Amino acid sequence: MKPNVLLAILMGVGAALAQQPDQPPNVRHVIGLDKIKRNANGHLTIQNGVMQFTAKKTEARVPASSIEDIFVGTETTQGGGTAGRVVKTAAMAAPFGSGKALTLLMRTKVDILTVVYRGADGGVHGVILALPKGLAETTRTQLVAAGAHTSAPQPELKDRTKP
Amino acid sequence: MKFSLAVLLLLATAAILPGQTPATPKLHASAIQIELVEVGDVSIPAEFRYAIYERLIEQVRDSRKFDKVFRSGDKAAASVPDLVTLHTSVEAFTEGSQMKRELAPVVVGSTKVDVTTQVTDKAGKTILTEKVAGKVRIFGENLGATNDLAKRITKLLVASF
Repeated sequence: MKPNVLLAILMGVGAALAQQPDQPPNVRHVIGLDKIKRNANGHLTIQNGVMQFTAKKTEARVPASSIEDIFVGTETTQGGGTAGRVVKTAAMAAPFGSGKALTLLMRTKVDILTVVYRGADGGVHGVILALPKGLAETTRTQLVAAGAHTSAPQPELKDRTKP
Repeated sequence: MKFSLAVLLLLATAAILPGQTPATPKLHASAIQIELVEVGDVSIPAEFRYAIYERLIEQVRDSRKFDKVFRSGDKAAASVPDLVTLHTSVEAFTEGSQMKRELAPVVVGSTKVDVTTQVTDKAGKTILTEKVAGKVRIFGENLGATNDLAKRITKLLVASF
């Protein structure tokens, strides 16, 4: 009986996951969008020629046609967001440096997307976003398809960081 | 004897005084335009270049030293008579590792950005030049060096204006 219940639960979870609509990936705003707080997590969408970043109730929109350049990079950073930072800071006080083990466990590789655009007043803006690994190149392609400009194509994305 | 001592004291005072730097007069400007960071031949990732630029705009605005802070290319800046322009050029860049910094018992894996910062007046004359370095030594992401650098440049501007 028990294995059947377990199987049913697993199938239910699988079905629920499969039914989830295509959620935009979770993106961290490093800096550059005036209305959005630094390090705010949100969703990035590209629709109708506009790049839109939504974090809780605030949103920032950048017309793709105003984008002058896009750069893709990678970074090895600490995962877990704010909670991760708090846990790690607390763990630093642990005896025998055992908290340092968390440093190893909480490593996350992210893609860094730098979007350079010109505002209505002519001012240059540089937006820096941290995306889940492997998504920056796709986003760059989507932005170019939506009308964004880029300088010479970027060299092959390679891991630049020293984790 | 007393007279000789007094002369000696006077001479010593005279010798010390010229060594003291006179208080430099403060510069004046109601607005500043922050130009994009020049990288020249230095290999620095684009996100560092734009993070320095954005953090400079943020920090200089927060300092409230200037009535207006313009971005590079802002057309409205041209109409300000006493506008000054901040130029930043990267001299050296060392990208470290956050993990090394946090794991090692000694300071290794630091990220460092060395820049030359220059302020010019509307005629293009340099009125301030200084070398500044931004670092992240122990905790934080590599990009934290840009924040440190922007803070130091803003401090310099606040002291000079």
